[in-house]
Amino acid sequence: MVCPDENMLWVQHPALTAGQRRYLCSIANVYSTEHMRRQMKQHYLNVLHTCVQAESHLQKEIWGSSTCFLFSPLFFQHYSLGSASEQGNETIKCKLVMKSVLPLFRCLTSIERSVECCQISLSASSDRVIIQFFCRHGITKTHNLRFQESEALQAVFASHLCPNVVKAPARLLGDMVMHFPASQEEITLSMTPLRVSLRNYYEGGNVTDHMRMMYTEMSLHPDEFDYFQVGMESDITFCLKELRGFLSFAESHCLPVSVHFGAAGKPVCFSMEDMVLEATVVLATLIDSENSGPSQPIGTPVSTTPRCADAAALTVVSHGADSTKPQDTPAVTELIASSQGSPTINPPALIQLLPQTDNPDGLGAPEEACASAITTPASTMICSLLFRALASEQDDDGCAARLPVLACYSDTEEDMEGDYTRSPSL
Amino acid sequence: MPLSTQSQADEEQYVFMASLDNARNLSNILKAITFKDHAIFSATPNGLKVTVEDSKCLQANAFIQADIFQEFTIREDLVGFQVNLTVLLDCLNIFGGSTVPGVSTALRMCYKGYGYPLTLFLEEGGVVTVCKINTQEPEEPIDFEFCSSNVTNKVILQSESLKEPFSELDMTSEVLQITMSPSQPYFRLSTFGNSGNAHYDYSKDSDMVELFKCTKTQTNRYKMSLLKPSTKALALSCKVSVRTDSRGFLSLQYLVRNDDGQICFVEYYCCPDEEVE
Repeated sequence: MVCPDENMLWVQHPALTAGQRRYLCSIANVYSTEHMRRQMKQHYLNVLHTCVQAESHLQKEIWGSSTCFLFSPLFFQHYSLGSASEQGNETIKCKLVMKSVLPLFRCLTSIERSVECCQISLSASSDRVIIQFFCRHGITKTHNLRFQESEALQAVFASHLCPNVVKAPARLLGDMVMHFPASQEEITLSMTPLRVSLRNYYEGGNVTDHMRMMYTEMSLHPDEFDYFQVGMESDITFCLKELRGFLSFAESHCLPVSVHFGAAGKPVCFSMEDMVLEATVVLATLIDSENSGPSQPIGTPVSTTPRCADAAALTVVSHGADSTKPQDTPAVTELIASSQGSPTINPPALIQLLPQTDNPDGLGAPEEACASAITTPASTMICSLLFRALASEQDDDGCAARLPVLACYSDTEEDMEGDYTRSPSL
Repeated sequence: MPLSTQSQADEEQYVFMASLDNARNLSNILKAITFKDHAIFSATPNGLKVTVEDSKCLQANAFIQADIFQEFTIREDLVGFQVNLTVLLDCLNIFGGSTVPGVSTALRMCYKGYGYPLTLFLEEGGVVTVCKINTQEPEEPIDFEFCSSNVTNKVILQSESLKEPFSELDMTSEVLQITMSPSQPYFRLSTFGNSGNAHYDYSKDSDMVELFKCTKTQTNRYKMSLLKPSTKALALSCKVSVRTDSRGFLSLQYLVRNDDGQICFVEYYCCPDEEVE
């Protein structure tokens, strides 16, 4: 039997029975600060465990691609902002779950056959987006979908800084990707002054796995493209699946698609536009594993582990309505790991995943303070999670230069007030 | 055809016997009500009625009139038995359900009476198969006491207009709400799912609405899981009548044309969900 306090030798009195000793020890435990500390530590560990589980489900701030379709008012038969503009809010931002919107537009043939008019309206008072289909034969379908307020997020991409640009009819690009199986996750686009080629990409695996794969490569001469600019030879690998939908949309509208890219590790942008709409898809590309590290925004304490091929990222900034041009290279805002085929995420990179969406400037310089606290991956993860929870309650200091304390070594309240600089007592 | 070579003596044993030149005229209709394994067969001189029930809240009936059959003999006023419907359908399709025109499976269905199996003679292209399916004690079908005099609202629609909404109903909604009213929105189907709600409105002037007789505004909810199987019947039908009575019980009647253009009926009765306005 372990006595909680070495001063409790009186429990060893010979006149006490074993049962009495046990009883007295259990009572003493309740009043033991040592025991209390242990219990609190266990409690916090449980809470953290739950938080980590929850965070891994959310993963809201980790993206490998960003797609944006911009419809000008001319695209629509009628477009008005109604009462929202009277209130002075010119932009309404909300987000809907894709799963609830896609089924409404799934069957194009039946929509073409029976729908005469589609009306989309927003009712701020009831937080619903109302999509109405006015169909033939006097039938009306009304869908009221819940939305969430959201900051508009858009990938920051300086396409004018890209050394490599090609432009081609969507049909050409569609014909190129057609040769790859629908299950192909990633492909590599290579560019030299003499040709542009596409080949499939398989990550990892051993020699026998590689021998079982079918490799496909196709090349095009620069003349096939409407516009061809090669600033540097490069091979970029990105997710094909996320591009297919975009290409089929472009094909159905007979629009040319422009591709802007640079070195491996930097994002690639596919874009199309016409009079009434523009669309862009920005995809993260894999970092070339032979290089020492990603050529990402300065200040990032990226470790050069052999698996750094995983941690390609997009720089994303939340912006207001009038922000149309890309901002100056931010120190670090949000780094998002590639969503495709990335087995692990570098622990230090996790620190950077703190969303800055509630920060009005959109930018912060958290990296110095956070980097200094990094010890082991586990503690890093824990620190960053706790930090986020607290930051939302404090005034927006950005990332405060001090770390939160989980539990103090204190029996009295006065001691707990001032001292925040101790490392977490886990 | 081989089936007709059965001796006269055999035929006298059967208390119920029916034959069809095209078994699909029966199997197609039965598919519209196959949401449970067991079905109650009730044969009367008027024809054959097949009943399937679920949770004591839903009942589906398929009616095949006597004149649909090439032969229909019944020696009692009512012959009833219960069989496994899935097994019966498998037997009816035992030749694989070929769609070659002119080739069809001929059927003779025979029943000797209580305790005897249901015997099926199926023939296609000179090959005869005999199936004997065990019968069970027929359960008493529920009487929903739905009578025409109690009907408050009735709408007859062309099935075409309902097929799409029914197939795209939000399955995350536990209930399907049906509103019928002499004023707006006239006839409305509503679902309440995870992402929000949806309404399908049919104007009474719509050319898809053949009959519109609503006396008062009624809104009733029915369990989606109970009504979803009726989509099969809807898909087969060309017209559907939707009726509700003063208690909120729902009657859906489907007019189905079989391969030979003859008319059969399928009907569904459903209890409203407990929270009724």
